[in-house]
Amino acid sequence: MGAAMSLSGLFGKLFGSKEVRILMLGLDAAGKTTILYKLKLNQTMTTIPTVGFNVETFTYKNIKFNMWDVGGQDKIRPLWRHYYSGTQGLVFVVDSSDHARIDEARIELHRIINDREMSDCLLLVFANKQDVDGAMKPHEVTDKLQLTKLKDKLWFVQPAIAIEGEGLTEGFGWLSDNIKKMPKYGGK
Amino acid sequence: MVATEQPLPYIARTNSISAFVEPPSAGRRGSATAIPTSRFAARSPQPPAASTPEMNRMSDSSLKGKAPSGGTVPSSQHSSMSAPPPRSRYDPSLRRARKPRSQYPRGGTETHVEYILVASFDIDRGPIMEHQYPVSITGDEHMLAELMLPDQAHVRNQDWTVFFLHKDSSQEEDEAERREKNERRARRRRIRDRAKGIIHESDDEADQEEDLDDDWDDDVSTDTEPEGGEGPPLVYVLNLVNTKQDKSVKRGAVVKAMAICTRHPFLHIYKPLLLLALEEYFKSPVPETLSMLFNAVNEMDLSLMPKLSLLERYLLQASDNKDLFVEKFERMIQARITEEAGDSATEQPLDASKSPPKRPGIFRMGTKAHIEGHAGYAVPRDTHEFESKVMYKGIPIPIKVPVAVMPETVGDFSLIKLIQTFSEPHAKSPQVFSLHPHLTTNGPTTHPIIVLINALLTQKRVIFLGHNMPSGEVAEAVLAACALASGGILRGFTRHAFPYTDLTKIDDLLNVPGFIAGVTNPTFENHPEWWDLLCDIPSGKMKISSRIEAAPITEGLVYFQQQNPAYSNLINGASGSGSSADLTGDAAFMADMMRSIATRAGERVVRAKWRDWIMKFTRIAAAFEESVFGASALYIGSDESDAAANSVGGGVGGAISGHGYVWPDEATKAKELAGNVTRIDGWRNTRSYYSFIQDVAQLYTVRPLKGLDLAHMHDRLRAQKLSPQQSKEIYEALAKYVHSYDEICLLLSVAPESHAGLFYVALGLFHKDRDVRIKTCELLDRIAEHEAGQHWWRALSRFEKLAYARIKKEMEQETKTRLLEMDSREGGGVYSPVENKRVS
Repeated sequence: MGAAMSLSGLFGKLFGSKEVRILMLGLDAAGKTTILYKLKLNQTMTTIPTVGFNVETFTYKNIKFNMWDVGGQDKIRPLWRHYYSGTQGLVFVVDSSDHARIDEARIELHRIINDREMSDCLLLVFANKQDVDGAMKPHEVTDKLQLTKLKDKLWFVQPAIAIEGEGLTEGFGWLSDNIKKMPKYGGK
Repeated sequence: MVATEQPLPYIARTNSISAFVEPPSAGRRGSATAIPTSRFAARSPQPPAASTPEMNRMSDSSLKGKAPSGGTVPSSQHSSMSAPPPRSRYDPSLRRARKPRSQYPRGGTETHVEYILVASFDIDRGPIMEHQYPVSITGDEHMLAELMLPDQAHVRNQDWTVFFLHKDSSQEEDEAERREKNERRARRRRIRDRAKGIIHESDDEADQEEDLDDDWDDDVSTDTEPEGGEGPPLVYVLNLVNTKQDKSVKRGAVVKAMAICTRHPFLHIYKPLLLLALEEYFKSPVPETLSMLFNAVNEMDLSLMPKLSLLERYLLQASDNKDLFVEKFERMIQARITEEAGDSATEQPLDASKSPPKRPGIFRMGTKAHIEGHAGYAVPRDTHEFESKVMYKGIPIPIKVPVAVMPETVGDFSLIKLIQTFSEPHAKSPQVFSLHPHLTTNGPTTHPIIVLINALLTQKRVIFLGHNMPSGEVAEAVLAACALASGGILRGFTRHAFPYTDLTKIDDLLNVPGFIAGVTNPTFENHPEWWDLLCDIPSGKMKISSRIEAAPITEGLVYFQQQNPAYSNLINGASGSGSSADLTGDAAFMADMMRSIATRAGERVVRAKWRDWIMKFTRIAAAFEESVFGASALYIGSDESDAAANSVGGGVGGAISGHGYVWPDEATKAKELAGNVTRIDGWRNTRSYYSFIQDVAQLYTVRPLKGLDLAHMHDRLRAQKLSPQQSKEIYEALAKYVHSYDEICLLLSVAPESHAGLFYVALGLFHKDRDVRIKTCELLDRIAEHEAGQHWWRALSRFEKLAYARIKKEMEQETKTRLLEMDSREGGGVYSPVENKRVS
């Protein structure tokens, strides 16, 4: 981070745990904010549309996650790019029951990970809302999002029911294991 | 009349403060007029024994009849004894009685509020504009809607934001305004010419009539004072956003925002109304709700708020006195009462002493007499605030409008809060900055507030970040920073301020060279390429960007080093030293500031101190330019001063031809300049620098006493060890040149109450030269009669007042003896033609 070390980074150092920046994106009403607060507070909150963003810090497996949840309405999606720099992991949340907009989700996802600033980051996809009848299964989501097309990218699809917290620890387990393997993280 | 027989007039004067609680009309009369009258009586060269009181009063009132009491009493009236040489440079219009003028006259074309907007956060589309009233505001509607719904509005029930719009007024408006202005100018020119005896063909009765009714036509100064700067005035937007949880709607909440767009800088007065109106809009989301608010706020009556000149505003701003300029409010009311009583009495002078029965309705607001139900007009409890009300749905909402708003002061904010936010963490553990010549003028431990002001002066990109804070708080910090850097003197900060902004505007923001922005989104911290100085409000820490542009080597720096080789190593950019020495005096200044705040000095004092700091900075910069380049546009002296100096001949020239900041000696000067070189050089290429040069030039045209630098003279009295001859020259120059209303205002402004007031001026009462003592006495007489000066006079120390009274007595004694001598010589009447001539 050099001379311009951020304050949070400084505190992170003081307390011994390393901080990674995670960006959580997805179409509106996919469940991003619910996941954030389920992880942070272990509580199911009734969320309302995010105006702008939410950001929370929490520790999992001795890794300090600085997680950004950015509003998903199409008008505000162009702002996502401002959150890219310094991001080590992307969590992309999909409403598996929303068949109509899965293509829209694919386009947005590919736009994000094709950005130069996101080239090194890990990709975790939550196939959320598995409790809804007719929800797409993880492999369906993988196909629809055309993840197999991705080259040189570590990615993982995790089925989840955010309001019950199901699948979240598994997803973040994958994320933290892989973060520890990143040269950037170990080298710091 | 009260004090004719009193040996010590000031005793009566101190008592007159209590006039407000006494029977109003008599009491007010006492404080407003009795003193000047009595002063005239006391100063009359006629021996009191010989002249009847009636005589005195008559001559006084016949003089005063031409002017409102205490107001712009022309200088010639004061000169019954001092008799200054005739000065042709006086604009004749200054001699005319100044009619009270309203800041927001009745029937003015300008509305208080121009637009009301409502936006909401649509769960599918994001921010959208719902309604606009009376018409759609031009420009990007979607951008407005985004600004109205600040980041994280969803996590709080209520949030305020402020933002500015750079909206050009339409072409027709401009045209109309220009036409009106030209007409006013032409009219004023005709009046002036008429006063000089030049008669225009177009002069006719109708024209004359118009002059009398013309609200705008009074003094020359206020109209030409610099106000706008570049382009049309900004539109200030005050916005309230509410989030209401509502189970019945999709995704459980409704987020709506309502905004008021106004060109008044005191937009905060509308807060209570927005609260009511937005609540109303949640109930009935129709355009009528907007129109109801629009009509209510625009019916607010501010027409009795007097307009103050720039100097008067400075004085009022810097003073804690609740009575300062109360006479102006009285005159406004008096004019209104006269107007309402019918125009039969229009020509009656407003002098209170002549029309006691006509002043039934004026009370002090909040006093017993006022509350006990006469529906009369009232002057405000505190002249800093004009009290009015807005009727909204039958409820009267009290409103307080600031009377004196300085340039670059928008909304309500607290400099104290801003200073404390960034000082307290620094006091606990001094923050170490990476060095930048423009910013860290006292080395790596430069006080953060000084780093901030340096950044603002040298036009850096400054961001205030308040993560998890209401956006209203970051907006307040930005507004405070603008006022801090301006001090009411420099401009160009609010015009490039974004009190609240977010990521959606980042591309526009980055197009602005040097901005002050407030954000709540911490992602800004991760983009050091977007800013030069980041001020994190929650932690109270500042950070200089790792990507900040290096300060260029400039001519000023190089020349200074060549000219002052002995001091060049002190320049902070050169070696990073100079930190411990506090060459700039900023460390001492901040320590003093913190002491003032700790002793609860109050916002007004703190603002006045900053104004002094900025004033000093500009004067040091002028001195720097003069010493390094040989000339500076930051100060305009004039040929007139040389002319005046020459005409005076004997010696006074030396005292009055000097100008600029005063140092005790050359070494101190060189050191202070060395400490300031880098930031002055950084400032020399900024908007605020260029607009200051324009302002200096423009102010020069309207400024009284063009040839003199009163601040310089006063500073010499204050800071330097002067020989009796030197100080004599200064005191004589002050007594000789300071006569008119504006001239006294100027003198008061360089001797603010918060410093020592008139202390140094009154020290002339102790000068060893008797002539100086008498001249100072006369000067103080004039100041004591002055509408603002009377308060300065009252604050004078007892010690100096006693000296004053003693000199007065001596003078009286002497006149008496002389007259007696004359009496015995001529054996004639007291009213010798000589004496009569001197009185009238």
